[in-house]
Amino acid sequence: MRSKFSLSKEVYAQMLDALNNLYFSDKLGFSTDLKFIADDFWLGDTAVIEQLHLRKGMWEIHLIFAYPAAPTRFLKRRITAHANSKRAEQMAFYMRRLAAKDQRGTITITIDNFNLSLN
Amino acid sequence: MPTGTKQRILEAAVLLFNREGLANVRLQQIADETGISVGNLAYHFKNKEAIVVEVYESLFEELKQILSTYLSHPSLNDFDEQLSRYYAFFRKYRFYLIDLFEIERSFPDIIAQWHEFVGKMIIQIRRRIDYSINRGIMVPEPNKGLYDTLADNTWMTIAFWIPQQVLKGMPLDEVTFKSALWAQFQPYFTDKGWEEFSDTITPLVVGGK
Repeated sequence: MRSKFSLSKEVYAQMLDALNNLYFSDKLGFSTDLKFIADDFWLGDTAVIEQLHLRKGMWEIHLIFAYPAAPTRFLKRRITAHANSKRAEQMAFYMRRLAAKDQRGTITITIDNFNLSLN
Repeated sequence: MPTGTKQRILEAAVLLFNREGLANVRLQQIADETGISVGNLAYHFKNKEAIVVEVYESLFEELKQILSTYLSHPSLNDFDEQLSRYYAFFRKYRFYLIDLFEIERSFPDIIAQWHEFVGKMIIQIRRRIDYSINRGIMVPEPNKGLYDTLADNTWMTIAFWIPQQVLKGMPLDEVTFKSALWAQFQPYFTDKGWEEFSDTITPLVVGGK
């Protein structure tokens, strides 16, 4: 008969104890905890901005999704990385076009969107 | 997991071991029960020992499945479901307990593995008791060591309920088996425990009869 992996009695008992405790330490969450997942409609109307960062010899492509109505609300995601800067630029351009709702790029964020008052 | 003819041979072997006892079964009988020739049987298993070892592989695999159902959900139903599986298991492999001493002599590896499983079964029962105390459905241990004994006794009932029914010439049925087991826990239930038991288990145990 093949030799099998076996667990000592003590370890097995400790494992079951941990499993028992799981039911007491785990608490039910609130529906608002996952609100950030459901509340993502604003992402559909965002301006998409591409960014390149040189990191550890690779050009990382980041996309920023910024909401023109409230520019402080934005999401930044690393998409991929490329060794060649030209290729990274090209890829970032197409990534942005792919991700943006408006492919011509008319949704933009300017300083005016921040409604800053210099007074 | 064996398939096809191999599986059919194993099923026939379990049937014959239960009916005739491990020592009394010959390869010819297993071949006849499977509906194949002894030559064909020898192609799959070189001797009876090889069949016995393979039967035990399946047996341990099934026992492992039962043990893995520990605390799938936090209620008394969880244990009740595991008891149903234990019943089906010990009924299917009841030859094991009848031929215990024969197996001990000829298959020391199997016995060692079996002891390990028995240990795990008892630990699981003991941990279930701890869990029930934490949930407030069982009273804290009235005196030290009592619940260890309760876990041992519960295991004994799970493993030996079927042979003792056979010895008494009484019929085998799952509801009586489970009633015998729940009876061991009932003296230690709190009010909350009784409430949960009446709501979830009583309809299964009483209603099933």
